[in-house]
Amino acid sequence: MNAQTTGRFAWKSHIGFIVTVVGLAALPFIMAVMEGLPVGSLLANDSSTAKFLQGLLVEVFILAVFAISYDLVLGVTGLLSFGHGMFFAFGSYLTGVLLKTFGWPLWAVLVGAVVAGLFNALLFAVVLPRVKGITFALVTLGIASVFDILIRTQELNPYTGSDVGLQGIPRPDFLNPVDDRLRFYYVTLAFAILVYLIYKRFVDSPTGRVCVATRENENRALTIGFNTFYFKLAALMVAGITASLAGMFNTLYKPLVSPEIAGLGFTVEGLLMLLIGGIGTLSGAMIGAAILRLMEYYLSRWFGESSAFILGAIYVLIVMFLPYGIVGTWRLRRLDIAAGRQRLLSMFTGRQRETPDEGKL
Amino acid sequence: MPETILETRDLRKAFGALLAVDGVSVQVQAGAIHSIIGPNGAGKTTFFNLLSGNIRPTSGQVLYKGRDITKLPLYRTAHIGMGRSFQITNLFPNLTAFENVRLACQAMGRNNFSFWQPARHFTRYTDRTVAILEQVGLAERAGQLAGTLPHGDQRKLELGIILGADPEVLLLDEPTAGMAAEQVPELMTLIQQIQQQGSKTVVLVEHNMNVVMSISDRITVMHQGQVLAEGTPAEIAANETVQSAYLGGLYELDQQDREPAA
Ligand SMILES: Nc1ncnc2c1ncn2[C@@H]1O[C@H](COP(=O)(O)OP(=O)(O)OP(=O)(O)O)[C@@H](O)[C@H]1O
Ligand SMILES: [Mg+2]
Repeated sequence: MNAQTTGRFAWKSHIGFIVTVVGLAALPFIMAVMEGLPVGSLLANDSSTAKFLQGLLVEVFILAVFAISYDLVLGVTGLLSFGHGMFFAFGSYLTGVLLKTFGWPLWAVLVGAVVAGLFNALLFAVVLPRVKGITFALVTLGIASVFDILIRTQELNPYTGSDVGLQGIPRPDFLNPVDDRLRFYYVTLAFAILVYLIYKRFVDSPTGRVCVATRENENRALTIGFNTFYFKLAALMVAGITASLAGMFNTLYKPLVSPEIAGLGFTVEGLLMLLIGGIGTLSGAMIGAAILRLMEYYLSRWFGESSAFILGAIYVLIVMFLPYGIVGTWRLRRLDIAAGRQRLLSMFTGRQRETPDEGKL
Repeated sequence: MPETILETRDLRKAFGALLAVDGVSVQVQAGAIHSIIGPNGAGKTTFFNLLSGNIRPTSGQVLYKGRDITKLPLYRTAHIGMGRSFQITNLFPNLTAFENVRLACQAMGRNNFSFWQPARHFTRYTDRTVAILEQVGLAERAGQLAGTLPHGDQRKLELGIILGADPEVLLLDEPTAGMAAEQVPELMTLIQQIQQQGSKTVVLVEHNMNVVMSISDRITVMHQGQVLAEGTPAEIAANETVQSAYLGGLYELDQQDREPAA
């Protein structure tokens, strides 16, 4: 927060961002070099290990976008949504159905996913004026469950494949993860970066600041004159569109849709990503998604069956020792350090602290 | 004949069987400092909540500039010119003092749905915020999180947030509640200054009788949800019902209020 008003720490966070982006952009080449492969083979889409790792990172990027969209709703705006997975699943299914059953071109699918995201946001927003807090959690969970049930019904089997899910979805020429994985890698990387930058800007904007104020103290936000409904709606719409697009990329990459992503489990996974990375920090959500997916993969590779247990233990440790997540705890530390320095300074300059806050209610 | 800016007609609020506000009709003159006093539980805060739209009355009306605002949504009251502070500090605790006030400034502007420009680029709000923080004496604390400010500073911030919207009527519910005694005169002087410079109307709930008697133009005494008496400070001081029912008791209460700070 200090950084925002004084701009003192800004360059540091930019450095982190730039290093991450450059690193991820260079990663396919670094991996190729580490494998002792000529760069040419990478471009020719030959190397299978590099290709596999690129695929893993594509999944990370897609999940990171899902996580950051959840963070905007839950962490930034304070809307306790337990149906967020539906935003993603809806986009996934829609993409699959539009490509497979209706044979839409990619650009039209993209438009469709955006519209679907808006539609979902409005669906959640309809109940907003009436329910708050835990009730909102239950209602959104209910809406998502209805969606889950719908896609599994036999009546919709020709479209959704009910319990089996959607398979055999045609791959568009432009974005074909098998023929040109490197392109898919860069497209999803660019997508994730773009979403991050847009979200950063949104949260720093007047609209985003009111979303934060709504989370902090909705009653006060209303009293000073904000109709908080519209700001919650704005957050839901932005998150709805991005999650829906992430779902679209998910389908394009796999290319299949498993009904699992429509269940509560997927939302809970998003919640875990936020907890690991730090709720309300944006970058934390993306880092959390990366950690979760990579840990899942490597632990199951190294430990096989017992990986789930180890994973669970690691979550518990993180929540115990980093209660605000990785990024959240890091920011608090930094604030602590800044406050400590100020205290130290005031001891030397002799400026007294005011009376201890006994009357604080 | 001065104009009535805020008026209630037979206002009632029941919490179950308890009538917290029981048929209160009050007229507040524009440009006046109008104090509401009364013992703990008299219904002052509830009355304020009804005025500002934080809760809805069971029956009765609230009129602002002659217009019925009883059913006005809470967020609208700020836009028609009413600013409200809370007895129990009610801030955005994890935002800086600066951001607390800046939000209040932004609320009255037309940029609430600018979702692309960073908020700090809107200098008409940030400049105003700087001026207000200066005015309430929090300039040096601008970057500190509101929740970590000392209590006295939080009270000043409450006032700063109201000023952000530049209201015509300030509803101040015990603005000095819990403040150290030596800080009270400073804040009251500030409130008086703001009231006079902007020719604003102040409705004030305050327990400190010295303060109330010295700065009020008019006083309404509440007791068990009802208006016990109303008049100028001199009239109230001389009123026998008030003396026996309330002021006698309040003197002690006043002393208690001061003790922890002494
Ligand atoms: N939300 C509520 N639900 C039930 N009872 C309430 C509620 N709010 C206030 N009351 C009751 O209404 C009565 C009036 O309370 P109120 O807070 O308005 O008094 P007050 O005059 O502001 O007192 P104080 O001087 O202590 O601030 C009290 O008996 C209180 O317990
Ligand atoms: Mg009160």
